[in-house]
Amino acid sequence: MSRAIRTAVLAVLGLVWLLPVYLLLVNAAKSPAAFTTTESWRPTDFSLLANIGEALELSGLAESAGSTLLYAVVSPALAVLVGAAAGFAIVALRLRHGFAWFVAIFGGTVFPLQMILLPLFDAYSRTGLFDTRAGMVIVYTAISIPFSAFVMRNFFSGIAHNVFEAAVIDGASTWRIFARVYLPMASSALVAIFILQATFIWNDFLLGLVLSQSDTVRPIVTSLAGMQSTYGGAQMSTVLAGGLLVSLPTVVLFLFTQKFFARGLALGQY
Amino acid sequence: MRSPRIPLIAATAAAASLVLASCGGGGEDDGATTGTLDFYTNKAAWEPDFDELNAASESGADITLDTTGYSDAAQYDAFIKQSFRTDKSPGLFTWQTGPSLAELVEEGLIAETTDIWTTAVDEGWVSPDLRESYTFDGEQYCVPMNIAYWVMYYNKSIFEEQGLQEPTTWAELDAIAAQLADAGITPYYQTSTLFTFQWFQQLVAGTDPELYSGLATGEVKYTDPAIVEIMNTWLEQERAGWFSDAGSTVDPAVGLKQGDFAMINFGSFFNGSLDGAGMVSGQDYDMFVIPAVNGDLDKTPVAVESGPLCVAENSSQKTLGLTYSEWWMSPEAQTAWSEARGDVAFNPQATVADPMLEELGATVSGDGYQLYDRYYEATPTPILTVALEQFGAFIANPGDPLPFLEAIQAEADDYWADQG
Amino acid sequence: MTDTTPGPRARRDQYRWPALGFIAPGVLLVAVLLYLPLLWTVLLGFTEYDGLGDPEWIGLENYAEMFDDPEFLGSVLNTLLWVGGTLLVPVGIGLGVALLTWNLKGGTWLRLPFLIPYALSGIGVGVIWSFILSGDGALDQALAAFGVHDTPRWLVDAPLNTVVMILATAWQGVGVNALLFTIGLQSIPKEPLEAARMDGASGPRLFGSILWPMLRPLTAVVVGLSIVASLKTFDIVQGMTKGGPGRDSETLALTMYKETFVNSEYGLGSAIAVFLTVVTLLASVLYLRQQLSSKHGV
Repeated sequence: MSRAIRTAVLAVLGLVWLLPVYLLLVNAAKSPAAFTTTESWRPTDFSLLANIGEALELSGLAESAGSTLLYAVVSPALAVLVGAAAGFAIVALRLRHGFAWFVAIFGGTVFPLQMILLPLFDAYSRTGLFDTRAGMVIVYTAISIPFSAFVMRNFFSGIAHNVFEAAVIDGASTWRIFARVYLPMASSALVAIFILQATFIWNDFLLGLVLSQSDTVRPIVTSLAGMQSTYGGAQMSTVLAGGLLVSLPTVVLFLFTQKFFARGLALGQY
Repeated sequence: MRSPRIPLIAATAAAASLVLASCGGGGEDDGATTGTLDFYTNKAAWEPDFDELNAASESGADITLDTTGYSDAAQYDAFIKQSFRTDKSPGLFTWQTGPSLAELVEEGLIAETTDIWTTAVDEGWVSPDLRESYTFDGEQYCVPMNIAYWVMYYNKSIFEEQGLQEPTTWAELDAIAAQLADAGITPYYQTSTLFTFQWFQQLVAGTDPELYSGLATGEVKYTDPAIVEIMNTWLEQERAGWFSDAGSTVDPAVGLKQGDFAMINFGSFFNGSLDGAGMVSGQDYDMFVIPAVNGDLDKTPVAVESGPLCVAENSSQKTLGLTYSEWWMSPEAQTAWSEARGDVAFNPQATVADPMLEELGATVSGDGYQLYDRYYEATPTPILTVALEQFGAFIANPGDPLPFLEAIQAEADDYWADQG
Repeated sequence: MTDTTPGPRARRDQYRWPALGFIAPGVLLVAVLLYLPLLWTVLLGFTEYDGLGDPEWIGLENYAEMFDDPEFLGSVLNTLLWVGGTLLVPVGIGLGVALLTWNLKGGTWLRLPFLIPYALSGIGVGVIWSFILSGDGALDQALAAFGVHDTPRWLVDAPLNTVVMILATAWQGVGVNALLFTIGLQSIPKEPLEAARMDGASGPRLFGSILWPMLRPLTAVVVGLSIVASLKTFDIVQGMTKGGPGRDSETLALTMYKETFVNSEYGLGSAIAVFLTVVTLLASVLYLRQQLSSKHGV
């Protein structure tokens, strides 16, 4: 297919994809008093900043932002490294029963999260991890590992094994091969996992709900989610504005990491 | 690669103890009567209101609430139940009346509040009627946090355009609905998810309050001919186009504002949502108590919803929680709360900020009215779950009511058989 | 489990201890934080427990009750619809987007519209989609502008409601799949690609002979994750229809949630969770074994 056609197809499809985003923006900007659903597509007024202010006030978002940032940076970073190490052990070091080990880690992701919330709460409150930042970082790391290990294991399996053998002949230790050869080669995969998991953690609501309590430990979306309920609370446009505000950092993250995916990383050279 | 080793060991020990642990948990009451009280609520949207109230509670009782809000009611319930087993057992938390409170009381998990109630009733701070919902085996548990009457809200400009007055009889209400439908205006709001029970509740209790309470106790079957007849009335109204689009997810407050429907049966906490949507109380919207279906009833039944504020028996903050509960019942606290939250107050000596709600409170405490527990609290949970689903299915695709009622009765049979 | 690429025993064992050291942190964290709590759930599945007091051992009764419920079958069927639907739509479109943007000038920026929905917080997304699909909502209004007035009730009529919710999920999921496929395309060595191009391969032939086989490790990731995620579908359904009307759009995760949290039937809820977990694990292991072990070794 020619480049022009490819670009055109992508542009049209991309526009369709942006329509709900447009709706989100337009309706988040309507003032709650003037808000109706009869003219969804038309911008009526611009009260976005007032709505954002209202959302900040109602949910106490500001207090949560710092700790959420901590979780969303530290946990996926740890998980990416732990996952890469697992993938390295299975693929490059050819760990015996590698598939079984892999399934053991991957299995951590197959059951619905809701099922382990109560036992986790129980364990956390008995060990003093409840409502601590360390406790949140640990659980977010653990929950991100299966995905990370899965992607890294498969990514490494695309690298010819003679890369490893060549490095051994050069006299490198396994740690050095991992850190200096495999990790750099996998940078685009590492970044992809990192941003996907950071986004997941930034938007997490369930674990934060059950394992934290104070405003300084609670993640941002858990604080935000409390705003709207049957028993009054925020109006629709305020909720949308709040949702938009907490999404900004992740959208920016996606924008800034795009260059990692710009071109093929030419793995063939190894 | 460094793993966080120490927390890991701690977590291992935690999980191991969890598997081994059976009952137990809770902490020693530290006996404090002033300080910061941990407060859990499933009405997360009210967190700013509780924070606002702290100024009053600091000067009135020297207690500050540290509020943690949960937005998912079902998960909140599970979390609270689980917390009784740990040292996070709550010093103060919100709950619901009816079978779910009875369950906690039976397990001995709730601190008694009999003394607080005795004082409050003696002082005239609360009606003895309300005490009934909080009494188990002659003792009281918890105090009322909020109270809401289920009434009919209406869009005033639609009523004015159509030259309509608030109805005083069921026939008048029917005439209003018929006139609106003829004019191409949808009379009533409905939804097929969660809040699917109001109209059923209204029709049954308004026809025969005893029939209604019989459903809650299992003495009356959902397949009873009287219930079937009531459902057929509902079906006729559905077929006459009296209810709004079941597939609409528009916020009901916005729907009333933009005239998607003229009336909505909701709890009196709905004022807050309507105000927030930009409608003015008494000017853009108003409310009336729904007349009884059966005009021969001595008193007009009004559904009431009351949310308790409870203290866990084994909480380390038990004394602190009870001290706060005591303060909470006072006119001073209730006036401050009504100001913060803008809701009806259970305490007749408190000043209510919104005149419409003030009037409603005065009306329903008059002689011509009888309060009954809302269907949501009155019905045992497993039956409620099925009933909400079945009413939702009926609303989505109105038809012969019998299959829906049979499905609810099947669950009810199971439940009452289990209760022995 | 047998190794499919046996090497000389001595050489393999040479790295046994380092390998165990590399895999240990991952295994330990997952075991302690995810498997131990799960064990509790598995045990609860054999008990009657209402969240208060002590669980009472009742053997397989919960499982009997679960399979006895005619509505349970409906829930299973809806869940299967989700699995099929998410494989078809977000994975298919994701692959399409990755291929179209591959080596395309400005491709990263053209991919961005598909990634933005994933970056948006679930709260705004849930609200906006119920806004779109509501009766007389944004979609109906847009269709009315084109003269289409007799629209179906998107969220009420089954199985249409499940289908539109799958599409809403696809909206959010396409970008992630496109990103993963892009990584796969980037890891394809240049030489065989150039060789195939020299031979005049392009379009579908290039895709069939070179790209598709080479994409296999990442296809396994995307399909595996898609199966797992779709079997667990919860948030969007809970947010938009709560499984209704009636139980028409309920998925297994929703049934589990209802029994556990709404009805306080912890035992029955746990049994459903165990069933769901076993099905998911079986499906992914069968798929992954076939995908992963045949060619690339483990």
